Amino acid sequence: MQKLPLEGIRIMDFGQMWAGPHVTEWLAVMGAEVIKVETRVRLDFMRMVGIPPGLRDKAPNAGSAFACLNFGKKSITLNMNQPKALELARKLVKISDVVTENFGGPVLERWGLGYPELKKLRPDIILYSGSGYGRTGPHKERPSYAEIVEAFDGSTWVNGYPGDGPNTVGVSPWTDGTQAMHGAFAILAALYHRAKTGEGQYIDAAMIEGSANFLGELVMDHVMNGRTGERIGNRDKMMAPHGCYHCQGEDEWVAIAVASDEEWKAFCNVIGNPEWTKKKEFSDELSRWKNQDELDRYVEEWTRKHHKYEVMEMLQKAGVTAGASLSVQGLAEDIHLKEREFFIETEHPVMGKLRLAGLPWRLSNAPKGNYHYAPLLGEHNDYVFGELLGLSKEEIAQLVAEKVIH
Amino acid sequence: MSQRALSGLRVVEYSEFVAGPYCGRLLAGLGAEVIKVEKPGVGDKARNWGPFPQDLPHPEKSGLFLFLNMNKLGVTLNVESAQGAKIFRELVKRADVLIESNPPKEMTRLGLDYENLSKLNPSLVMTSITPFGQTGPYRDFKGCDLINSHMSGEAFGNPAEGVDNVEQEPPLKTPAHTGDFMTGLSAAVCTMSAVFGRLANGTGQHIDLSQQEALASVGRQELAFYLCEGTPHTRQKGRKRRGGILYPCKDGYVCIWAGPFLKALIEMIGNPDWAQTELFQDPTLLSQYMEEFNRLVTAWTMEHTAEEIDRAAIAKGVPCSPVRTVAELVNDEQLAFREFFVEIDHPVAGRLKYPGAPYKLSATPWKAARPAPLLGEHNEQVYCQMLGYSRPDLVRMRQAGVI
Repeated sequence: MQKLPLEGIRIMDFGQMWAGPHVTEWLAVMGAEVIKVETRVRLDFMRMVGIPPGLRDKAPNAGSAFACLNFGKKSITLNMNQPKALELARKLVKISDVVTENFGGPVLERWGLGYPELKKLRPDIILYSGSGYGRTGPHKERPSYAEIVEAFDGSTWVNGYPGDGPNTVGVSPWTDGTQAMHGAFAILAALYHRAKTGEGQYIDAAMIEGSANFLGELVMDHVMNGRTGERIGNRDKMMAPHGCYHCQGEDEWVAIAVASDEEWKAFCNVIGNPEWTKKKEFSDELSRWKNQDELDRYVEEWTRKHHKYEVMEMLQKAGVTAGASLSVQGLAEDIHLKEREFFIETEHPVMGKLRLAGLPWRLSNAPKGNYHYAPLLGEHNDYVFGELLGLSKEEIAQLVAEKVIH
Repeated sequence: MSQRALSGLRVVEYSEFVAGPYCGRLLAGLGAEVIKVEKPGVGDKARNWGPFPQDLPHPEKSGLFLFLNMNKLGVTLNVESAQGAKIFRELVKRADVLIESNPPKEMTRLGLDYENLSKLNPSLVMTSITPFGQTGPYRDFKGCDLINSHMSGEAFGNPAEGVDNVEQEPPLKTPAHTGDFMTGLSAAVCTMSAVFGRLANGTGQHIDLSQQEALASVGRQELAFYLCEGTPHTRQKGRKRRGGILYPCKDGYVCIWAGPFLKALIEMIGNPDWAQTELFQDPTLLSQYMEEFNRLVTAWTMEHTAEEIDRAAIAKGVPCSPVRTVAELVNDEQLAFREFFVEIDHPVAGRLKYPGAPYKLSATPWKAARPAPLLGEHNEQVYCQMLGYSRPDLVRMRQAGVI
């Protein structure tokens, strides 16, 4: 029977909201046992986000945001304000391979669970700390919500339409995504290193450092030429036609990118070689780019007559890069994603039948992944405190009464 | 001194532009040996992208290429030729990982698909990055950053706040090549999972990374809202009910999050009369009147500079940031403190500053060990020293257009 690559790895996860949980969601799907350390005193806010109408009384187990960010994980409740809880947390660290967190400040340190203390409990522990600006430095305490960080790191400035103002990058938590994925990579590299040498380590991942990589070409333009980047919408520095054009229907669009003379000829053939394509303004790549305002108007006259999928099929068949601009509804109905089974169907004990986006993780010699439904709050208290930490039923009941397991 | 995290890991990168090379950059930065295979003469198309110093194009001075391909060894190889394909197979035979981003049909045509390469090297981890994946009705469709952004739902969700005029303002691709970067990063995560998993049992893997899926995955929350609640995604401004909102100010823009910090925000703007009404004290009521609220806040922000607003926000505990450009990022004191940027000497481009590591690993730090390779710079090192060809062989191969 094929195994999942992270089978046997245990992760103690303090992550909350989007960036933290998405890291450990990947690790859980890939086979790690991820134990989310939660508390009724301060819920992961995502448990309250996207609650379908009719399920409001089922909070905190009906948040669709939480459901799509916490596949495959286990949940315990532990009120870390209580000394007995800290004791249990320390016991759990001893049997965990990785501890993850993305708190807004040095919360783990306040609990006496900073890296030096974790190392004393388990010398080869790997600690991952995700934050907006990093855990060191003059700005380490700045607020690190995704949109705020994007404004800080230059992403917002270059996002927008030509001649118009800056905009926060969508889909909404863009830098959360950047950070989560860099975090997942770093943790896997650290696990690999530990497997070979027995050495753990501390990972400090800052959103702005991830973003600065994603904006690398803009950084280089500043370093080389002092420039700050400009907002060019759907346009390109070189290609034309290159943009998003109206199709038949309301708010229906297609994206087209013509990359060469060859593709331009193919494009003209598809649209029936109308007279305007023979104008001098459109005779070569540079001229097309310089005259793209006019070019775009002509292209849109044609696309408006067709359905977006029709345009995509016609152009792709002729070797021109084109794609329908899909909304969430479009994605949900897309035949390609359906065939590839990108969406995961699960049966959730509170929310019922759920259909959610899976991960783009496809290995040929491994199972599909652990897409077990996101855990109910404290669902695995008995398993973790009883089976893993050896507490008796009575001890657990007492700790629940004392609001330690809470 | 600790060995580096990925010391001893051998990677062949047969990919160009952004996505595959960013995956290679991440592996190389932690110590993997990454051999980048480029077409003779032309090389990676990123060499022609720029930016270039003083806008003078030069294939050894392209900022995008230099940044993405530092830490790698570079060889030229014409994989279309029989001898070239043979050498490629030799490289793959001794490798742990192959990163490639060619259309699925291409690799099959060249006899370099996973079925063939895994026979040669059963432990190979082959990471294939394509716009739509190795299977499905769009498998052979062409992609690029624009199309991938739109086909993944990413563009429909950008800008995050929505637009004033849905008719005039189309769905918007994310800036520069950030979509391609996210794809390369996703490929690196998948690759590392296979490399780690292989420690247990030596099993190779074919990794099928679809750019459409990698980007759609980032929009999972919005998809969940639609799939679970049935509310379709609108592009109309006001769709963003939570998080930071942009406000123009005297000398630019700021991003402020009122939401749970409403009281502090009201204090920050001086407890104006309009804020004392019941409407603006109740967060649930307020969410229905965001337009009015934002207009009133804007009246205040327009009277102050971004720096003034930032200072006031810090004082009152309101999440805020000025909207900064990449210039401020490069000169930022936080990044300077963290020694984020690195300076390396390149034999043609000279000494330049580059973005460094997107994470700090305490025991096995990221390093800039060498600059990006000149075209074919390591042909001798790789073909002669590693594969055993002689110098005269190199000359013959160059004459025949193989390298």
